[in-house]
Amino acid sequence: MVCKMGSDMAKRGMMRCVTLATGTGFGVVVTSGQALAASASEPGLPQLDVSTWPSQIFWLVIIFGIGYLVMAKIVTPKIGTVLEDRRSRLDDDLSKAREASAEAAKIRADYEADLESARNDAAAFTQKAAAEAAEKAALVEEKADKKLANKAATAEKKLARAKIEAMENLNDVAAEAALEAVKGLTGIKITKTQAEKVVKAAAKEMAPQEAN
Amino acid sequence: MASQGMHSPVEQFEIKPLIELSAGGFDISFTNSSLFMLLAILVSGLFFLIAMRRGELVPGRMQGSAEMMYEFVADMVRSNVGSGGRAYFPFIFTLFVFLLFGNMLGLIPYSYTFTSQIVVTFFMAAFVFVGVTLVALFKHGLHFFSFFVPAGAPKVLIPFLIVIEVISYFVRPVSLSVRLFANMLAGHTMLKVFAGLAVMISGAGGLSMAGSLLPFLALIGLTGLEVLVAALQAYVFTILTCMYLNDALHLH
Repeated sequence: MVCKMGSDMAKRGMMRCVTLATGTGFGVVVTSGQALAASASEPGLPQLDVSTWPSQIFWLVIIFGIGYLVMAKIVTPKIGTVLEDRRSRLDDDLSKAREASAEAAKIRADYEADLESARNDAAAFTQKAAAEAAEKAALVEEKADKKLANKAATAEKKLARAKIEAMENLNDVAAEAALEAVKGLTGIKITKTQAEKVVKAAAKEMAPQEAN
Repeated sequence: MASQGMHSPVEQFEIKPLIELSAGGFDISFTNSSLFMLLAILVSGLFFLIAMRRGELVPGRMQGSAEMMYEFVADMVRSNVGSGGRAYFPFIFTLFVFLLFGNMLGLIPYSYTFTSQIVVTFFMAAFVFVGVTLVALFKHGLHFFSFFVPAGAPKVLIPFLIVIEVISYFVRPVSLSVRLFANMLAGHTMLKVFAGLAVMISGAGGLSMAGSLLPFLALIGLTGLEVLVAALQAYVFTILTCMYLNDALHLH
């Protein structure tokens, strides 16, 4: 059987070869199995008892076929749907969360913009108020300065007058004192006008020094 | 226990007809092997239906594990087959679940492991192989045969490389089926050997009862290992199917 297959393989095309090959493999196992089963006495490997093979293949095909139908038609679609549902649900929730997050970010940006403009308004207002206050203060200060300057001027004038008066009085006193001193020391009687003349001259002489 | 009555470690693989049937001269009895195929489908089907009955938005433990299995296979198909793999997902999923539950159920004492039957694993592998080859032929037509010519190879080497590629292509169903079959056969035989050893030593009575503890402990460790192998081999069979499908759809 194997030899015949071998010559066949050489003669025929590759495609034919592919389908035959499984038969060849099968044939080899069958013949060797028979040989082994035959050569071994009673306790041979039960796997090589060819008489059980048709039933095993028959039931394998039927049961695997049933199993395939159960898995392909019921089990895998069921698990697939559950997994797909979960995935879409998660994606849904994730996109919702992303949307909410974007909205929150937008609200925050708005809020911050509001805050910023309010801060700017407040700064501008403060600046304006400060400028106004400064202006007012300057005005008031100027007025006060003027007033004070007036007052100071009149006070100075008064002071100067008082000084002159005081000086004149001082001259009188000095003239009198000189009069008395001359009278007391020398006994010479001089007139008041004379004494005044002398004192005035002396005061004039001393005044520049005092002024310095 | 006489040596005559001692169970052979391969006795567990025996096919026992439960319902005698025949058709066209073939014996198609419903056997212990068929029963566990049916159980694998029933148990997995019921598991998924019960787990997904409410299809809650926030899954519980059972629904979570059902979804995890689905996502596991879906990821496998997505990353190994890529575009165009979606259509084959139900088949790949059934394949994985069928093998996983079959392997796992087989680890329960007194149960039967149908994946330890070479005819079962080979038929599945051959189905995958033929199916994948047909998919490739329908999709690419004659261009499919460029699959056997490695790109960028020196012209002198091409005839040899084609031979190697063709051989490696046709070895696929053999390696795919033998890997699963041999793992199950070896694992379950080893479990049986250690279990038999523990029973035999303790059967001698007296102090040897303590000695039977050693193979028994080894049996516990091996059972853990077999759980790993059961899951791993289901995964390996499935992912290789994905890779073959990828080759068929995209030709390297």
